[in-house]
Amino acid sequence: MNQSLSNASNVYDDHQNKSRDAQRKADRWMLPGAILMTTAVLGPIGFPLFLKGMAMQRRALLDGMSVRPMICTLLGYLVIMDSGLNSIGWSLDIFAHHSLISRTLVTAWGNMFDAGYFWHYNELWAGGAGAPGEKSWEYSLVPTVFCMRLAAAIGFLQMKRWGHQWLIVTCWFGVIYWVGYVANMTIFADLRYANIVFPVWGWWLYDIFYITPFLAIPYLHTVNREIFSD
Amino acid sequence: MTTSSEKQLPPGTTAPNATLHKWLQRGLFVCLTVLALEGTFTFPGLMIWYGFPDLSLVEMCSELAKVRYSDDARECIFLYPLFAPAEAAGQTTAQDKWGVQPRPEYKRIGFRELVQIRDDRLARQAAAKQADVGTR
Repeated sequence: MNQSLSNASNVYDDHQNKSRDAQRKADRWMLPGAILMTTAVLGPIGFPLFLKGMAMQRRALLDGMSVRPMICTLLGYLVIMDSGLNSIGWSLDIFAHHSLISRTLVTAWGNMFDAGYFWHYNELWAGGAGAPGEKSWEYSLVPTVFCMRLAAAIGFLQMKRWGHQWLIVTCWFGVIYWVGYVANMTIFADLRYANIVFPVWGWWLYDIFYITPFLAIPYLHTVNREIFSD
Repeated sequence: MTTSSEKQLPPGTTAPNATLHKWLQRGLFVCLTVLALEGTFTFPGLMIWYGFPDLSLVEMCSELAKVRYSDDARECIFLYPLFAPAEAAGQTTAQDKWGVQPRPEYKRIGFRELVQIRDDRLARQAAAKQADVGTR
C-alpha cells in the first residue's frame, strides 16, 4: 500500500517537474521575444523567438503537461506587449525626443497615423509631441499604469494571485485611459488628423489591437481564481 | 460529479463561461498576433514609405522637418547637443490656421514622396545656381 502510494507520488512529482520545465523552456523564448518586440526596432529579432516559445507551449499542452492555460499565456504576453509598446514610444518622446530615431521614425509614424507626433514636434520647451494634452498623458501613464501593468503581467504569467488582482486593477485603469485618450484626440481632431497619410480610420486600424483591457476584464472577473496561488 | 465536456475545459474555465472564454481567447490571439506584427514591421514599413534607402535616416529627418515647418532651410542636426533648447523652439515658419482648433496646412506625404520632394528641390536649387552664374 505504502509502496503504491509512493509510486503514485513519484509519478505525480515527475509530471509536475516535467510540466514546470516545459513551461520555463517556453517562457525562456517567449519573454525575450515579447520584450524585443516592444522595442519596435528589434522586433524582427523578437518575433521568431516569440513564435518558437508559443510553439513549445502548445506542444507541452498537447503532450498533456500541466502548463499554464493558453488563454492566460496570450493575455499575459499581450499585456506585456501593450504596456511595453506604449512605454517605449512615450519614453522616447519624453526622454529622447531629439534622438535621430524619434525625430525620424516617431515623427514619421505621427505623419502617417496621428499628427500629435508630427505637428510642431520638438517646439514645446519639454520637447517631443506638442499636441494639447499629449504630454500630460505621457507623464501620467508611463510611470504609473504601464509600469504596474508590466509587473502585473509578469505576476499573472507566474499564476500568482497578486498578478491576477493587479491585472484587474490596471485593466480598469486601461478603460479610463482609453476613454480619456480618445476623448482628447477627438476634441483636437483637426490638429491630429488633418493632412496625414491615414487619418482617423488609420489610427483606429493601427491602435484597436491595444484594446487588451476590454478583453481581459471579462476573463479576469469570470476565471476560477483557485488556479492562482499565493 | 463532472461531465465529460467539463473535463475538457482548460483550468480556470467553468462551463457557464466556456463560450465567453473561447471567444476572448480568439480575440486575444488576434490582438497579440497583430501587435507582434506591428511591433516588428512598423519601423521598417515607415522607412520604406518615407524614402529609405534613397534617403538616409538623417536626410529623412531633415525632409520631415522641412515639411513640418514649411521651411526648406531646416536641417536635422545630428548629434543634437544634449542641453540645447528644443530644436524648433521659437520657430516662425510653420503654417497653421490658428484658432481654438488649430489646423495644420502642411501637405499630405504620399508613398516615397519625400524622395521626389527632395529631388525637385535639389533640381530647383541647382537651376537657380546655374541661372545666377549665367547672369554674372
